[in-house]
Amino acid sequence: MKRKKNFRSNKKNFKHKKLNLFQKNDSKFNKKCPLSGKEAPAVNYKNIKLLKRYISESGRILPSRVTSVSLKKQKELSRSIKRARLLALL
Amino acid sequence: MNCYEHTLIIKQDKLENHSKTIINKYEDLINKNSGKVLKTEEWGLRNLAHLIKNNKKGFYFHIKFEGTGKTIEELEKAENIDQTLIRFLTVRVKKHDLEKEYFEKRES
Repeated sequence: MKRKKNFRSNKKNFKHKKLNLFQKNDSKFNKKCPLSGKEAPAVNYKNIKLLKRYISESGRILPSRVTSVSLKKQKELSRSIKRARLLALL
Repeated sequence: MNCYEHTLIIKQDKLENHSKTIINKYEDLINKNSGKVLKTEEWGLRNLAHLIKNNKKGFYFHIKFEGTGKTIEELEKAENIDQTLIRFLTVRVKKHDLEKEYFEKRES
């Protein structure tokens, strides 16, 4: 029982915490890809607000095992982050 | 005909009126070379996220146009020589989104 409780509280905290490059992934198997689905935001090199969520503080691209983005969307993400870097938007 | 998006950054030390003549020059160049300009967005003077050739700020312009490979060839040939530009980027898109604008022009 104790373990179960802990797990739940971890999951709650996970949503509010800022993603980190070296964080442990507790709720990996529960999370869905935040960029797939019907009402997902479009990944674009002009959409800086979205892209900023997927880079670390030092400007590196976060791995998909941390952010649980699907492979298809991760490819799109990295391409558009690199485009934004070229234009000095990020 | 393919759809393209073109973004270019003009050096800050050029006056704003001057930057408009530059953008008009490239619009004409697209229209001449079997292309068609659909929309031009002006993002205004923005801070660059990092230094590029010792520039801190730049005027951003965004052109959405239709054209062929030859249009881009001519466009980039002219831009490579141009000293007033900091950088440019051409991206091919499947479909143009003419309504949504991610950047608003800031008065500064």
